[in-house]
Amino acid sequence: MILSLYLILAAGLFAVGLYGLLSQQSIVMIMMGIELAINGVIVAAAAVWYFIVPGSPDAQTVVLVAMTAMAVEMGMGFAVTTAIFRARDVDMVDSASDLKG
Amino acid sequence: MDAIAFGVCSVGSIAAGITVFRVASMARATFALLASFVLAAVPILLLGLTYLGVLVILMMVMEMMIMVVFMLMYMMNPAGLMPMKMVHNNRVSTIVAAVVFVVLAVGATVTPWPHGGRRSNADPTKALGLDVMGPHMLVMVIIGLVLFATMVSAIVLASARGRYDRYGDDLRVRPPQDPVQGGLGGRRRGGLQR
Amino acid sequence: MPLVLLVMLPAAAAVVLLLRGRRTDAAAPAIAVAVAVIDLGLAIVAAIARPSAEVTALNSIPGAVAVDGLAAIAMVTVAAVFLAVVVFACGDIGRGEARSRFFGTMLLFVAAMFVTVTAVNIFTLLAAWEIMGATSYALIGFWWSEPGKARSGLIAFITTRSADVGMYVAAGAALAAGAAGLNLARLDEVAGGWRDIALAGLALAALGKSAQLPFSFWLSHAMAGPSPVSALLHSAAMVAAGGYLLLRIEPGITATGWLGPVVAWIGALTALLLGAVAVAQRDLKQLLAASTCSQIGFIVLAAGVGGVAGGATQFVAHAAVKSLLFLVAGAWLAALGTKNLLRLRGAARTHPVAGITFTVGALALGGLPPLSIWVAKDQILSAALPASTALYTVGLAAAALSAAYSAKALAVIWTRPASVAPLDVRAGRIPVSELLPLPALAIAATVLGVLGVPPLAAAWSRTLGTPDAPTSPPWEFAMSATLAVTVIVLVVWWQHRRLTRSDELVADTAWLRDWLKMEAGIDVIVVRPIRALSAWCSRFDDRVLSQAVTTVGSAVLRLSRVVNARLEWAIAAAVAFVADGARRLATAAVRPQTGLLHQYYDQAIVGMAVLVAVFILMR
Repeated sequence: MILSLYLILAAGLFAVGLYGLLSQQSIVMIMMGIELAINGVIVAAAAVWYFIVPGSPDAQTVVLVAMTAMAVEMGMGFAVTTAIFRARDVDMVDSASDLKG
Repeated sequence: MDAIAFGVCSVGSIAAGITVFRVASMARATFALLASFVLAAVPILLLGLTYLGVLVILMMVMEMMIMVVFMLMYMMNPAGLMPMKMVHNNRVSTIVAAVVFVVLAVGATVTPWPHGGRRSNADPTKALGLDVMGPHMLVMVIIGLVLFATMVSAIVLASARGRYDRYGDDLRVRPPQDPVQGGLGGRRRGGLQR
Repeated sequence: MPLVLLVMLPAAAAVVLLLRGRRTDAAAPAIAVAVAVIDLGLAIVAAIARPSAEVTALNSIPGAVAVDGLAAIAMVTVAAVFLAVVVFACGDIGRGEARSRFFGTMLLFVAAMFVTVTAVNIFTLLAAWEIMGATSYALIGFWWSEPGKARSGLIAFITTRSADVGMYVAAGAALAAGAAGLNLARLDEVAGGWRDIALAGLALAALGKSAQLPFSFWLSHAMAGPSPVSALLHSAAMVAAGGYLLLRIEPGITATGWLGPVVAWIGALTALLLGAVAVAQRDLKQLLAASTCSQIGFIVLAAGVGGVAGGATQFVAHAAVKSLLFLVAGAWLAALGTKNLLRLRGAARTHPVAGITFTVGALALGGLPPLSIWVAKDQILSAALPASTALYTVGLAAAALSAAYSAKALAVIWTRPASVAPLDVRAGRIPVSELLPLPALAIAATVLGVLGVPPLAAAWSRTLGTPDAPTSPPWEFAMSATLAVTVIVLVVWWQHRRLTRSDELVADTAWLRDWLKMEAGIDVIVVRPIRALSAWCSRFDDRVLSQAVTTVGSAVLRLSRVVNARLEWAIAAAVAFVADGARRLATAAVRPQTGLLHQYYDQAIVGMAVLVAVFILMR
């Protein structure tokens, strides 16, 4: 178990999440992709703590922050989806192009 | 032993992740995501970070539960019987994701990581707790604030009508100047008409 | 002191009269006569005292006047004639005329004349010379409102002024040679070439002023002025000033060697040809004018051959005689309204005083011995005989011609008129003021002949500072006397016979009467080329110079249009190109903002990748 493998795992999770958040149409699915990406960050932070800086708990703090980010993202995401659904009766990201131009 | 567990879990995690986006059913997607999270938390546990691993698992379980409800609410395809195209820009996304994975993996293997420092004997959980209460309290405080802000803004965004919609700008006005008749609630339903 | 007063008194009176204009018309004659009397006294005093005066003018050249022998003689002569003329003019320029202007200008002229005769250097001479010319122009054109009078004055002025260029050249040459103060008396000491140029220039100016050939025609035009003007300017003063100048620079003329014969021949030829012209005239004043040219020619001849004494005598005698004759002609013109010889027939019989004085003057003019002009002419011819026999012969012929024209005039005025004219035409009276000076002048005309008598002649020469004039053998005197008497008698008889028979004048040749067509010649040789030149210059100015200005303007306009079309278009196009590019860039910059989240993510990822690449590479 070397650092590189953990990091490759993290990279893989991140890449899958990236694929998801770039290609999905539904807001909820995009959120799922984001969650996967952050999960990858969590794994990478944990690996860094273990292999590089085990003496200080700084990397664990990063994990905590990442988890918080997940929670926040989900909460806000669903709120926005609700608002859009109420306004337009769709939850597709393609219809939210009001900022065009 | 650990290596095998690590390998299995990692592969499973990534596979589950890919599954999330390949299934048509929302419920299945959600549970695939849950599986991915849990399988990704196992290596964390293997590293000795028990607290964080358990935290991840617990959190993800709760999240997925809630997410199932919302997914079904908005997309209404629980069994996946209705195939729908849910992707856009598929090719570019695949390429981008692949490139990013390659770059990161190559970077992860090629980079000369610094050698690990002296391992302390302290319990990582305890160390984390002391750290959070001490040097990194500010981080926690801000996280707290952020969570609070999220809660407030989520409610604001999600609620259809609030007090201000009902009373107008001055909340002490009685009777309320409600442009939508019929008390609290959203759209007018069939029922008592005044 | 007397010299300064002599000049400043008439000058001051002239300034007062000329500035006050018509307001002093009543007082003008009296002022003029008073000044003339005082000036005569001052002239006599100055002639005896021989003073000099100087005033600083230019850097090393003062305005200097001094009286020597020649100047003394001239001064007294001019002053005396001026008095006579002014007295005459009191009656001639009557009440309604611009008397202030007339007498003022006359006074100014005489002041200038005094300075001319006493001038020491060319600078003073030049200043006074020019003032004389200007005042003569004003006097000849006195009645400027009558057609042709102003033009006559202009012709006189321009002709004499053109000749005055010689004096400017002489001043320049004298300055170039460094003659100390341009002193006239020291011109013969100046180094060779410059001296010749200076003397030739002065001679040219003198010949122009004296109406010698080829400048004579202006004197014909000058007769358009009043008779007092003719009597003063054109007998005693202005034309004589030219001869006077030649007498003054006579040492220099002799020193050059070549100028003397030239001047002498010009004088002799003028005397001869203009004498012929005078014989052919029908107009009394024109006859007298031609005669003036002829007599001054004798003075010029004298200067050329070195007979200064004879020249001076001729100067004085001619002044008295000619002024007398002009005054009488003026009196008859005022009284009878004509100066035509045929219409003046028998004028001497109706106006005896005028007639007798005219006779005395005419006989003197003709050279009847022993009257003044005969003496003077003989002195001159005596000086000419040793120099050149040809000159002597020409001079003698000229003397004969002068006898002829004098006799012609005499015959006309004494012949009874053909029919008794009506009383109101022939009975115009001559006022007393006009008759007053005539006898005095007649006496002078007669008496001045004594200057030729040997003891007086010697004293004369001493006064003039010249060596004793060579006296000619007695046979010369006898010959000239006989010649004069014979010609006078013959012509009188001939003219009288012609008049009584056919009321015509003798010797009435057209081309002689027309002053040898000199004016036409000058017109062709000088005036027309100058007019053509000025017309060409005017055309040049219009077509080339002002055209150049216009062309420059239009060229600038065309250039600006070209710049506008070519250059500014290019600049504007470049500016438009830049603006267009910016607009297109702006439009392109908006395209990434699709509003679609995933595309924003794509862009962000690409940007991140670039940053990471840069970061890695930079390590």
